[in-house]
Amino acid sequence: MKLGLKVGFIGLGVMGRPMALHLAQAGYELFVWARRPESIGDLPATICATPAELGRCCEVVFTVVTSSADVENVALGQAGLIEGMAAGKVLVDCSTIAPEAARQIAAKLSEKGIHFLDAPLSGGGQGAIDATLAIMVGGDAVVLERVRPLLNCLGQRIVHIGPNGAGQVAKACNQMIMVAAIQAVAEALRLAAASGVECGKVRQALAGGSAASRVLEVMGERMVKRDFSAGIEARLHHKDFGLVLAAAREIGVPLPLTAAVAQQLNALMGQGWGRDDTSSLLRVLESA
Amino acid sequence: MKIGFLGLGIMGRAMALNLIKGGHTVTVWARRAESMQPLLAAGALAAASPAEVAGQVELVISMVADAPDVAEVMRGVAQGATAGLVAVDMSTIAPAAARRIGADLAAAGVDFLDAPVSGGEVGAIAATLSIMVGGSAAAFAQAKPAFECMGKNIVHVGESGAGQVTKAANQIVTGMGVLAVAEAFAFASKNGVDRSKVREALLGGFAASKILENHGQRMLERNFTPGFKSWMHEKDLNIVMQTAHELGLCLPGSAATAQMFNAMVGGGQGEEDSIAVLKLLERLSGQA
Repeated sequence: MKLGLKVGFIGLGVMGRPMALHLAQAGYELFVWARRPESIGDLPATICATPAELGRCCEVVFTVVTSSADVENVALGQAGLIEGMAAGKVLVDCSTIAPEAARQIAAKLSEKGIHFLDAPLSGGGQGAIDATLAIMVGGDAVVLERVRPLLNCLGQRIVHIGPNGAGQVAKACNQMIMVAAIQAVAEALRLAAASGVECGKVRQALAGGSAASRVLEVMGERMVKRDFSAGIEARLHHKDFGLVLAAAREIGVPLPLTAAVAQQLNALMGQGWGRDDTSSLLRVLESA
Repeated sequence: MKIGFLGLGIMGRAMALNLIKGGHTVTVWARRAESMQPLLAAGALAAASPAEVAGQVELVISMVADAPDVAEVMRGVAQGATAGLVAVDMSTIAPAAARRIGADLAAAGVDFLDAPVSGGEVGAIAATLSIMVGGSAAAFAQAKPAFECMGKNIVHVGESGAGQVTKAANQIVTGMGVLAVAEAFAFASKNGVDRSKVREALLGGFAASKILENHGQRMLERNFTPGFKSWMHEKDLNIVMQTAHELGLCLPGSAATAQMFNAMVGGGQGEEDSIAVLKLLERLSGQA
């Protein structure tokens, strides 16, 4: 896709804002809509009054919002994208939502000939700023190739997983592994501390061996420093675990560890730490 | 009293028959007309819709599968209701769904009780159900003569939704109880010890329970005919886990148990009694 192309962006939060900026800096003409216009700030963008208006202006639209319902509202709701976007245009949803919701939204849009890709992200706010996100894509491979130059501005590892919904399945797998690893690191550091051993030393030693991981490195450091300010707000992981377990239930697949970790996340929410970092799982263990 | 009854499955049919035996005038409706036949033969009146039932009675009772079914029949009830009507739902649904339905009915001037039951088909036929009720004291007083025709242990627990909270608590205890007995039996067998002797010994101590006695006996006989189907217990535990997720409540035992029932449904054992969790345990450890 050529530079100067009109690209729309909805959802200017921790992830969306740096992503939109990358697209603008790469030479695309940026259009935005925001529920709270003050969140647009000094982004070099044309402001639209509704998602429908944004859809009329742009060839490709990105959404990075919170829940399945948020994506449905923006895409299919009143004055939604579907009212403005013409056949052949592309909606790339980078939110983390239920695979089934992604499939349903794709089906509705396809009735008007609008293409949909579910393209959830991994890498967090830092990955968005550094443009090093992993992007897992569900949808038509030909459509992905059309928008790949845009995705290349946002991330490094862009993988076509399969048809619509497959990107969200991959993201669910990502969340399961990552949060279970956070819980494992929290439990290890809890055992160390309760045994009178210095956590920082344990983390340092483990980082050189078989238990080394990015979670041990990043989240482990937060736990050692007791810096629980968000990176990723734990309430979002809590939401994701609800989606994973609901999907597993739909197809009758038992996920015993995921279910156990989900209960630790419930405890975290109950203690009121939902807007803190998920490394707060350590504090849940300490409160037992 | 003139009583309406909506939903005539295994439970509903037996409960409606007991209302007729108790001398009440019962008007019935069911989605499948043929399921109304046994009731009409026993002297019940037929109606063409929930709205028509509601227009003819002082008390209307629903006994259907899940929250969307309850919401649908109660929309009909609201349309047909006359002044002073009390509506009672005896299905097992989420507390939040019961509160929503109660609020909708209140807006239409109908007082609503959630009154789920425990005791199964045997209890429904013998009129020995436990009935746990949420809603206003006035509505409870009006419905009490009907409850007394269907059950023995009738408790007004609290406000709207409190009956369903109680039922969910019941399913936590019975779900984990069945799994506990099955695990104890698997443990005994793997150690080369006779399960039936273990059961006999345990019945004299603190582990004695109805579940050890009745469900344990059926496990010994390997009689997996329902009873209470696994998929229904799975559905009920899902209500528990959904509610815990929304509340930020940590329920590790229920979560593990729910995954076992999830595996049973996924493994094609959904139509068997929930005590078939014994077979799943045996498979997992190569005891089958």
